[in-house]
Amino acid sequence: MTPGSSPAPRVVGVALVLIGLAATATSLSISLDQYGRWGARYFPLAGAFALILLGAAELRSARAGRSFDRTHLPAIAGLLAVSVTYVWAISAFGYLISTALAAPAALWIFGTRNVLGLAVAAIACPTAYHLVFFKLLGVFPPLGRYFDLLDLFGGV
Amino acid sequence: MDIFPALAGVLTDPILMGWVFLAAIVGMVVGAIPGLTASAAIAILLPLTFYMEPLPALAFLYVIGKSGRFGGSIAAILFNTPGTAASAATQLDGYPLARQGKASKAMKVATISSVIGDFTGEVLLIAGVAWIAAVALKLGPPELFAVYFAAFIVIGSVIGKSVTRGLASAALGVLVAMIGLDPISSTARFTFGSFDLTNGIGLVPLMIGIFVLGEVFAQIEERGKPASMVADDTDATLSNLTWAEYKPCLPHVVRSSFIGAFIGMLPGLGSAIAAFVAYGEGKRRARNPDEWGTGALEGVAAPEAANNAVSGPSMAPLLTLGIPGSTIGAILIGVFLIHGIQIGPTMFLTSRDLVYALFACGLIGIAMYGVIGYFGAAFIGRFITRIPTKVLYPIIFLTSFVAAYTSRGNLFDVYVMVAAGFVGWAMRKLDFNPAAFVISFVLAGGAEETFRQALLLSDNGLLIFVTRPVALLFLVIGFTALFLRVRSLNRHARAHALRDA
Repeated sequence: MTPGSSPAPRVVGVALVLIGLAATATSLSISLDQYGRWGARYFPLAGAFALILLGAAELRSARAGRSFDRTHLPAIAGLLAVSVTYVWAISAFGYLISTALAAPAALWIFGTRNVLGLAVAAIACPTAYHLVFFKLLGVFPPLGRYFDLLDLFGGV
Repeated sequence: MDIFPALAGVLTDPILMGWVFLAAIVGMVVGAIPGLTASAAIAILLPLTFYMEPLPALAFLYVIGKSGRFGGSIAAILFNTPGTAASAATQLDGYPLARQGKASKAMKVATISSVIGDFTGEVLLIAGVAWIAAVALKLGPPELFAVYFAAFIVIGSVIGKSVTRGLASAALGVLVAMIGLDPISSTARFTFGSFDLTNGIGLVPLMIGIFVLGEVFAQIEERGKPASMVADDTDATLSNLTWAEYKPCLPHVVRSSFIGAFIGMLPGLGSAIAAFVAYGEGKRRARNPDEWGTGALEGVAAPEAANNAVSGPSMAPLLTLGIPGSTIGAILIGVFLIHGIQIGPTMFLTSRDLVYALFACGLIGIAMYGVIGYFGAAFIGRFITRIPTKVLYPIIFLTSFVAAYTSRGNLFDVYVMVAAGFVGWAMRKLDFNPAAFVISFVLAGGAEETFRQALLLSDNGLLIFVTRPVALLFLVIGFTALFLRVRSLNRHARAHALRDA
């Protein structure tokens, strides 16, 4: 429908069809209601069929699309890895330690190389977020499964 | 007439006025930072408003949305980078004016035009919304489903570069919304045995991921590109705006305000489309069309009036039908739900005072950002150039994690936010439409409920949607919008191919 303009039309088309097929199979495994009606399946199936049709339309009109800029992919993959590790670290070691590690990592990825600045961020960021969100707003902090700095400070 | 007591109530509440003032500043600063949008600011601040009373919370976010739309013009005029998609049309004449040493003059035109446009939209909303709600109360499930269906099609197909990818974004939003327990039969759907997934995907982490973390990922590609501001003019004749200079802009501002207000009422179209339609229409009717694009004040006034006029009317489908007309509307649904306020036509019966107080806050917010923008836009521009992006975006990155956690106190939501952030970035890169994805996610629950209710009412199955005239009308509107959009894109593609040949 918009031939040759968007990047990676074949890959996107195949991906849409595959997601649609997987969603169709999963939708058909949704239990019927007590009267044997399909009520809970209608919308999941509609979304899945729509994806298959749109994927097929994408493939049908596929021509050479715009090139996909891969220059920054390593940095983006790095930030994604930091993100996932950060959430896991919060669950394992609590908010303070994980934020003390994630803050300099994020600054590094965005180009900060000043060691003193990274060290200040490692202390200032967890302290500031802890005070604002967990003290001032009263949100219950996520506690570490293995160890949490708050245990040492008595929950301060 | 409900608006006058509401205005009096807001004006005599210093705390509420303080929130509106803060929102006017926050929205303007965020809107002016290239890459950041009002939607991102609202998404990240949303969890903070859980701890506020409903009116200050809604007013704070609503005014950020208004002020953020205006703030985009600061970046467009001073940095030659539109702060928001809606201000890209402003850039066409705004930046050439700044290069001529008329940055302050252009900013004043943008401010006055934005304020007039926004006031027009807000007044039309206040005048018409109760009437629309009264009509909406008469709609049954088949008609409401047809409205939802038309909204899916319009949102998916009209905005964005690709119709297929826009509609696929909407379909993906529907599928993600299906995760969890079916609200009618409590059957598990797409949960794959995970307990966390039985609660469904939270709206707040999804939006923080798509609009905030997704933007942080995108900003990696902009690392090391500092925003530079054009030199401020010191000559009073270049910086001051006279009535004689603004007078030719007025017809464009009035016309564009109505264009923006009309487009704002249609779900999903948004301020960027309004701004470009108003710019094109203004240029077509201008006495000086050759000057447009090279630094015409009218070329700043028209898109600015239109993009701000969208703000008020875009609330009409949200408040009357529960259908968000914009991403900001989708986020505001979260605030209404968190505070236990049921949106839709009955809202004007159950929470009438709150709705009119919110409109009053909107009117006061417009006046506030107008005054701040008229006298302080250049100062805000200078302030933004001093914020190093290599520090700003890591701070936004860290804030998005704690904000996502705060929404339900659940680390699973933070994983959802990370996944949504990456998906949001990938969608932008591949010309999918993140706004259509999120709005469809929000719409899916209501659409499914009305669809199934309509089938229970029907003796003829799906035929109920074509035998009820209003339902049929909305189905036709949806398909017509799709047809026109495909035809328009095909024409552009053919013209492009002919030019290349």
